[in-house]
This record gives sequence, structure tokens and C-alpha cells, in this order.
Amino acid sequence: MTKTPDLIDTLVDCATPVRRLRPPALRAALWLLFAALVLALLAVVHGVRPDLALRLEQPVFVIGMAGALATGILAAIASFKVSLPDGSRWWLLLPLPGLALWVSTISYGCLTDWVSMGPNGGRMGEAARCFATLLLTSAPLSIAMLVMLRHAALLRPTAVCAAGGLAVAAITSFALSLFHSLDATIMILIWNLGTALLIAGLASLFGQSMLARFAAWLMPVAFRTHGRA
Amino acid sequence: MPGRGQNRPIPLTLVGGSQPHDPRRTDGARDWSRLMLRAQDGDRQAYRTLLEDVTPYLRAVAARCFKQAGDIEDAVQDILLTVHMVRHAYDPSRPFGPWLLAIANRRIIDRLRRETRQKAREIELAPDHETFAEPATNRDEVISDAASLHEAIERLPPDQRQAIKMLKLNEMSLMEAAAASGRSISALKVATHRAVKSLRKILRPKSERT
Repeated sequence: MTKTPDLIDTLVDCATPVRRLRPPALRAALWLLFAALVLALLAVVHGVRPDLALRLEQPVFVIGMAGALATGILAAIASFKVSLPDGSRWWLLLPLPGLALWVSTISYGCLTDWVSMGPNGGRMGEAARCFATLLLTSAPLSIAMLVMLRHAALLRPTAVCAAGGLAVAAITSFALSLFHSLDATIMILIWNLGTALLIAGLASLFGQSMLARFAAWLMPVAFRTHGRA
Repeated sequence: MPGRGQNRPIPLTLVGGSQPHDPRRTDGARDWSRLMLRAQDGDRQAYRTLLEDVTPYLRAVAARCFKQAGDIEDAVQDILLTVHMVRHAYDPSRPFGPWLLAIANRRIIDRLRRETRQKAREIELAPDHETFAEPATNRDEVISDAASLHEAIERLPPDQRQAIKMLKLNEMSLMEAAAASGRSISALKVATHRAVKSLRKILRPKSERT
């Protein structure tokens, strides 16, 4: 076993200058900027849904979109705040108002619009394109989040993954509503809540080990020694 | 009151210490925040001072949760490694103590969780469970010592054997032994002395006999 003074010698020997982390709000803003870039690229390639102008006149749709976007923004800020060692756990409550708004509009839509699922409600072609959008949005955003929050692997992996997963899920859901005509309630329900649950579930199941993997890959040898300690 | 304190000398606050690697606060304690700030900029001496300074504090924190000295030291090393890896995440405008304590608590909780998981799954191998292929290694030490002593006594010359049995094993006095054996006290003393010497020679481990 290494003695503590020897360990201190080793740590001092590899104490190279480090670049301090920028404030969490700024880092969250950078991540959101990246998300906006991904969405813009998708809009250029895929084009927004044809009836967007029409839908934007409907308050429930607008509130739902705003709720998803707010959840994404607030959850991103929360995950960056919580990733700091001395960041308060209360930050995890930050996305709750947005989440409540988002989930309530989906539920409201379900109640009032339940019968609107027509014969074309469950088209497979649209579902496949939805899935492509889902992957194209959530994969780069998740990777960016894992890289940016790798230092949290040793501190609060579960809480950070949960908040990060929620942010990715909300932004993805926002993208889906923006790009796909999901008129049938059941489709909205599946794609919005289903995606959110899927991403949040994956984040809590694999987030911790993925975070550790990214940390081991991007951080120096010390992590390997540490991981086996 | 206007004009009050105008003549009072303005108290001076020393901002930069004369010792570059040993910044101290007004209460005389070392300023960990400034040491960490310097460590982030690559000042190794400041980093060493900081790590050596926080180690006893971390040991005290770890001692609240672990009993074994080894466990405490492991936890301290774990925390120091984590501090090293996330040192870029420290914001010098915030106090260092709570930052360090938050990391320490996280690492200690993680270790306790891992320990609980291991205890639920694994059985510790006690020394009693140890056994080896060689039968001699599994013999009870006390019994085997007594057996080899008796064996050695049997190998002594008859007069020495008689003397040692009477005086040491049966715990007779010299007078009683002299009366029982019909030998003089001095003869018994000499025989006992020689017997002990012979026994020492017989019982000495093989490696030491040369």
C-alpha cells in the first residue's frame, strides 16, 4: 500500500497548471448553444414541420413547447451547478416548474384531444423519421454533456446524470415537436414522454458507468489508480 | 460623529505575505484558498503545503466513519486523489473548506457503500480458516510443543532424565528428590543442569544447530 506522504509526492510531481472551470451558468449556456446549433442544422437538413405556423397559434402547443424548452434549459443549468463539489443539491429542483408545465400540457392535450387519433395516426414512416431525429438530437447532446461533466464522475454521478438526462430529453422532445407532425395525441404522448422516460432511464442506468468511462478516457492516469483504490 | 477617528492611524492589512508559499490569514492559519489558487497555476510548493496541511484534517474527518487505521488512511488517500483530479473545478472566489469537505463526504459515503456491499457478499477469511497441505503446519502449537518436550526428555541419559522428571515435572524439592532417588543433592543439581543443557540442544530448531 502506498503511504500518504508518498502519494502526496506523486501528486505534487504531476501537478501541472490547470485551467479553471468557467462558471456553471456559462458552461450551461455553452451546452445550450451547442444544442441550438444541432437543432438549427437539423432544421436546415430536415426542415420544420409544415404546419408549424398554424400550430404556433394554438396556446396548448406553444405552452407545451415552451415547457419542454424551459425544462431543457433549467435542467442543463441544474446539472452543471450540481456537478460542482460544493454545489447545493437544491439545484435539482430547478427544472421542476418547467417539467410541470410541459407534462401538464401533454396531459391536457390527451384529455381534450383523445379521439383525434385518425387512421393515419400511427404511420410507421413518420415514426422511423422521428426515431432518426431523436438519435440525431440526443446522441451529440449526451456526448457533449458527458464530456463537459466528466469531473462529476467521482462526486455525484447519479444526480448529475439524472439532471443531464432530463435536459437532453426535454431538448429532444422540443426538437421532435418542431420537426414532426405528431397530430395524434397518442403519438405526442409516446414521443414526448416516451423519449423523456427512455433517455432519463438510460441516463440513470448507464450514465454513471458512461461518465466513469469518459472520465477515465479524458482524465490522466490518476483516475485509473483511483478507480481501483 | 463628524471628525471622529480622523486622527486615528489607519490599520494596515498585509495583502501579500513575505513568504510566497505560506500565505496566512489574519488569525494565523494558512489560507487554503490561496494555496489552492497557486496550485491551480502550477505552484508545486504551494500544492505540497496545501496537501500536507489538509491531510490531518481529512484524517480526522475519516476517523469519524472508519475505525481501522488502514481504512482511514485509504479514505484519506482516496480524497487526496479526488482533490487532485477535480482541482480545476475549484472556484478561488469561494471558500476552500466546504469544497474540500463536500469532496471528502462524497468519497467517504462511496467507500462506506462499497464496504457494505462487500460485506453482504463476501466472508472475511479469518486466520482460523487458514490451512496448509503439510500436516505439521496444522498441529496445535501448544500440544506439539509439549509432545516434543516429552519426547526430548525420553532421549536424555537415565540419571539426567530421572533428575528432570523429579525436580521439574513432579515439582519435588531437592531434599525429597535426594531421599527418593538416594542420590546427593549436589549430584541432582549437576544432573538437572546438564539435562536442561541437553534439552536445549535437542529442542533447538534444525537451522540453528550448525
